[in-house]
Amino acid sequence: MEEIAEKFAAYLSHKMPQASAMAVEGISRIHGGASRETYRLTARWQEGGKEVSRPLILRRDPVASLIETERDLEFNAYRAFHPTGVPVPEPLFLETDEKWLERSFFVMEQIEGCQAASPFSPDPYGDLAPKIGPQFFTILGKIAAQDPDAIGLGESMEKPAPEECWKRELDYWEGEIDKDTLIAQPIAKGAIRWLRRNPPPPPKELRVVHGDYRTGNFLFNDAGEIKSILDWEMCHLGDPLEDLAWACDPLWAFENEEKPGGLLPRAEALKLWEEASGLTIDSKAFAWWEIFAMVKGLAIWISAGKEYQAGNNTDPVMALSSWYCTDVHNRLLSKRMQEIAEEDAA
Amino acid sequence: MKPDVPLVLQHSFGKLLLEVAPNLTAEYAVGNTSVIGLMMFMSAAEFERGAQLRAEENAEMRAIFEETGGLGLPGDLQKRFGAAAGAREASLLISDLDAENDRLKTLLIELQAALEELDSPPARKLGARIWGFLRQAADKRKLPYPSIG
Repeated sequence: MEEIAEKFAAYLSHKMPQASAMAVEGISRIHGGASRETYRLTARWQEGGKEVSRPLILRRDPVASLIETERDLEFNAYRAFHPTGVPVPEPLFLETDEKWLERSFFVMEQIEGCQAASPFSPDPYGDLAPKIGPQFFTILGKIAAQDPDAIGLGESMEKPAPEECWKRELDYWEGEIDKDTLIAQPIAKGAIRWLRRNPPPPPKELRVVHGDYRTGNFLFNDAGEIKSILDWEMCHLGDPLEDLAWACDPLWAFENEEKPGGLLPRAEALKLWEEASGLTIDSKAFAWWEIFAMVKGLAIWISAGKEYQAGNNTDPVMALSSWYCTDVHNRLLSKRMQEIAEEDAA
Repeated sequence: MKPDVPLVLQHSFGKLLLEVAPNLTAEYAVGNTSVIGLMMFMSAAEFERGAQLRAEENAEMRAIFEETGGLGLPGDLQKRFGAAAGAREASLLISDLDAENDRLKTLLIELQAALEELDSPPARKLGARIWGFLRQAADKRKLPYPSIG
């Protein structure tokens, strides 16, 4: 850890030539965040005759990841949303030159006095749930309300045709399953064939999809105020219902299908999202994206298992994700698909 | 092996979570220790039931393949399903049972896809039966999760 601190101090000195006596203190790795190595630290330096200190977060590319994404995607998302009122940390530096820390990384503001809940806790927010819940779905609605071009993301991200959104996502995640699976996946493959036979109506407009908006990926304080939305590494342009369905996936609510995120009743959550986004939920499309969310989840857990088994990333959370999350999603998805199959057979 | 393996794993989980993790100072180490303990807890259940679950699934898939006669399946599918239905386990090692489970599930995917193409009432009926099996198998594989808050 000391070595990273020294190298990172050298990097900060390079980026801030006006600073002197740069030091990095209290560096510690944050657990979770299996897609990036995440470190909490405080930088201290002298500037203009004064001592300055700033708590920071360092997000470094891992050797192998739960998901494979480009770090500039996440950095650009923070930069685009920071001025919009959607709570995100201020992004500071993006570095792709590997001479500094062996792998690419980016640096952002550390949000202090907050915590992230475990996505696998039966009651992650306790008494704060009624306060956090409305914020959670309203902020997601605000993300969906943004015009990607107006916040500078339209040019840096691929723009699929609205009627192609579903196919692009399904093709990608099916490809991940086919590439990484260690055992045949009849539940995922059966669901994928159904999704292809029953495509959803297209979104009226392309919007920014966070890609992993869920329990555990935001910071809140003791007063129950959401202070930051994190983990934008799967951000893309697409159908905003993709995000809403992922946020409502029962995996993030200890399998409670009627209380998304373990936060508030489903109908209330969807209503808040509609009010904040200015969009109307198409029930057929939303049902499609809910099934897709389980397939996407399975793809991520399958890939995590592959990386662990191959020895590329032996972080225990990779194995746990593959065991526990695959188990939950296989049960939820097979239940839904059996219901559909029985309706078809009747 | 005595004491019983599941018991040893469960007690080890408790020791890690209640005695080791609270005495660690690094957040990353605390998190990893808790996750390792949780996986030991899950492994205790899997050690006891793993072979039984896999053998039952494999037997049920073979039974499904026996029901494919008269559906009008294309190509050599019927022949391959018949061969799979008559196969037996190489051994009761988890690795052998897993390999057979993978082989049978690969065939099951082919059968599901073929039934969807046929789209006849008998095909839809068998398709629903397969989803019933998959749901039941997934439910039986549910991993225990301790109440750790």
